[in-house]
Amino acid sequence: MLYQLIINILIQFSLVSLIGSSFFYIFNSGKYYAIHHAAIITVAGYFISVSYENGTPLYLSIIISVIISTLLGILIEFILLKNIREKQQKTFFLIIASLGIYIMFQNSIIIFWGEELKLISTNNISSINRFYDAFITNIQMIIIITNIIIIISTILFFKLSRLGKKIRAVSENTELSSVFGINVNYIILWSFGIGSFIASISGILITFDVGMNPSSSFNLLFYGVIALIIGGIGNIKGLIFGALLLATAQHLTAYYIDSKWMDAITYIILILFLIWKPLGFSGQRLKKIEI
Amino acid sequence: MDYILHLLILIFIYVMLAQSLSLTAGFAGMISLAHAGFYGIGAYATAILSVNYHLSFLLTLPIGMLICGIMALIVSTIALRTVEDYFIICTLGIQVIIFSIMNNWMNLTNGPLGIPGIPSINIIGLEFNNKPSFLILSIILGTAIFLFLRLIIKSSFGRTLKALSEDEIYTQSIGKNVYLSKVTAFTISAVIAAIPGVLYAHYISYIDPTSFTINESIFILSIVIIGGMRNLWGMVFASSFLVLLPEALRFIGLPNTIAANLRQIIYGTILIIVIFNTGNNLNIFRGYTRQRSYKE
Repeated sequence: MLYQLIINILIQFSLVSLIGSSFFYIFNSGKYYAIHHAAIITVAGYFISVSYENGTPLYLSIIISVIISTLLGILIEFILLKNIREKQQKTFFLIIASLGIYIMFQNSIIIFWGEELKLISTNNISSINRFYDAFITNIQMIIIITNIIIIISTILFFKLSRLGKKIRAVSENTELSSVFGINVNYIILWSFGIGSFIASISGILITFDVGMNPSSSFNLLFYGVIALIIGGIGNIKGLIFGALLLATAQHLTAYYIDSKWMDAITYIILILFLIWKPLGFSGQRLKKIEI
Repeated sequence: MDYILHLLILIFIYVMLAQSLSLTAGFAGMISLAHAGFYGIGAYATAILSVNYHLSFLLTLPIGMLICGIMALIVSTIALRTVEDYFIICTLGIQVIIFSIMNNWMNLTNGPLGIPGIPSINIIGLEFNNKPSFLILSIILGTAIFLFLRLIIKSSFGRTLKALSEDEIYTQSIGKNVYLSKVTAFTISAVIAAIPGVLYAHYISYIDPTSFTINESIFILSIVIIGGMRNLWGMVFASSFLVLLPEALRFIGLPNTIAANLRQIIYGTILIIVIFNTGNNLNIFRGYTRQRSYKE
């Protein structure tokens, strides 16, 4: 049973940190909680299952779905959020706008594709491997591996690539970086693109693993966001710790108490952190003003 | 006719909710996503008290408000240590926690099965068991809440709230206790939110946790935003609009399932348009109502 618990924690950790790292890109440059990100995860999952059900080969549907949801993320930023950001200074207007976008997309998805759970299971990816006395499916192994790849490439991206450095600069100080000739909107667009790309991958993986319905992505996104906050925003290593803490707490709760308290425990951890350690494990300051 | 009365009662319940939220979200500038939670606490308190202990409405209403107030006081002393965006996330967390307590604490709240058989309101012999009488009751309570909120807003406390939403540091520097004002505003708003909760429970006579989800919170918040954040009359228009919208959609012949989703799409779109088109005071009824712009 111990092995199963560890594997479950590992899978949950991978999902949370995948979504968290996709949000990490967006939050780093955009500086607000883009709730509509959940809609992109859902769109990716729904699109792949619909196109797969209609007989498109699997690899082709994956590619199409990734492209479409990445484009969607970019377009939302390009058409709507950029203009709102220029008009409204306070970030909660942006949060509400992105909430509006999320509501719009979620309900459009329900109208077009229905509300039921979309799950893709083929023999290839859903076959179960035995690992001592625990079970793990192929897709769950793929999730864990993908997460490792994404985490490593994110760390390298921010350390080495020119674009990553620019995103870091924008996240440190938006005005100063625009003084130094960085096109801030362009950088934010890029980070939305990358974030949406990772989000679409995680949406697809979730659809393969446990299935996707329009309301599940909101919860998942917030697991990622909470992991990010716990880890101290702006810090990918913190995200790993946060996701690990969250996944462990959730599955220990499910194991010892009841799985229906998982959500409550997640948010209790968040609130405890926000109160007593608002910096997270490390990271940015949380203050109204800086003198 | 009965149906129209039903809609009117729903509109009044949402007006009360939105106006109470407007005290925190509009006037004090603290966007809260936990409002449906407090609404639910009021409803559950009255349901449990009147079903299990057969208390009358005159007792359940104050007790419900008291329980809601105590919860809000505890919650806000904790949550208000965070600011702005973190406060929104924090209230979202509180909403989720309240919802999971309602949904999972089987012994107290009967979980997803809900609490059936809540008796109708009985005030010293006066039975409010049909829709017209209930509408009159909700109009009375709604007006009382409206006047009470007007009183708060016009008072010096209301001006402190407006000031701190504009500039917290400056308000503190002229000797106002910002933290205490915020906690008070949050608590008052939650206490008022208990009243529509109590009404709703007695009116529908059956409650379950799905009426008090995060979506409900978002819906109440959208009424506040569409109504113009600080415009109490605007909230009357906005909630009438948003409650009647699905009926209008059904009227033009859309099936029930699509109408519900289409309503949400429409209000999502309105949210975006409102944020897109208006200045910082977010009032789409500007020029139509007598609200003075506070930014100028």
